[in-house]
Amino acid sequence: MTAPAAPQELSLLRLYVLRAIYFLIAFGEGSQVVPALFAHEPTARGVIPALLSGLCLLCLLGLRYPRAMLPLLLFEMAWKYIWFFAFGLPQYLSGQVPPTFAEDFPAITFGVAIMPFVIPWGYVWRNYLIAAGDRWR
Amino acid sequence: MNAATGFWRRGGEEVSLARLYLMRATALLGIWGLFATVQTLFVHDALDRGVHKALIGGLWLMAVFALRYPLKMVPILLFEMTWKLVWLLAFGLPQYWSGTGSPRLGEDLWSIGAFPFVCAIVIPWGYVWRHYVRAPGERWR
Repeated sequence: MTAPAAPQELSLLRLYVLRAIYFLIAFGEGSQVVPALFAHEPTARGVIPALLSGLCLLCLLGLRYPRAMLPLLLFEMAWKYIWFFAFGLPQYLSGQVPPTFAEDFPAITFGVAIMPFVIPWGYVWRNYLIAAGDRWR
Repeated sequence: MNAATGFWRRGGEEVSLARLYLMRATALLGIWGLFATVQTLFVHDALDRGVHKALIGGLWLMAVFALRYPLKMVPILLFEMTWKLVWLLAFGLPQYWSGTGSPRLGEDLWSIGAFPFVCAIVIPWGYVWRHYVRAPGERWR
């Protein structure tokens, strides 16, 4: 089984969990959003499919470098939490929902539910909060 | 700062100080430029879909981290460049050439379409090459 991880390291189990999420985003979410790049209304603004496709593409790199690509997962978690608390939950509670709600709510809430268990918080704390910042001079 | 390192030269460091300032300036530009959208997270139409605004809110938060840790947040810059390039190729340019596009095409061509070129200048490609291409992948067993 996995040996205890050194402070800068992650356990093998954690690496696999991270890779599973990168895989899920790249291929699971990717299969939903990438087709919209090729088949869409001629006047579609396209910002959402482009953003999500970009995320899916870069998650491929996360399979090789799960630690170094962590900012992508932090971003994924951040925007889903923001959506959930600023839009999803208030709309759900008020009963007034946009037509896209039935599709968005389960997909985004799934991310809200699982991401806190995926992110290696100790590692994020050490490397993205208390670590010295890059130099200024 | 060791002898070979200057403002413009990276010497023994990962990137030059000039590069770090350029990356931080880009983060500041993002924090400033996206702030108007971040405010709409608190005040918006009750039936707003909100996905676009939430995505921008997430990016804004990442830009705050990038101010302190520009190098660790390089994946976000790569992401910025990638999605904007995807937008330009799948939406911006085809719509521009066909003459039929979204009502906000003109504005988006600048705010989104021009940005991959900015990212291409800001991203420390040597660092990316060393850490995200040449570096051995994380262990599998």
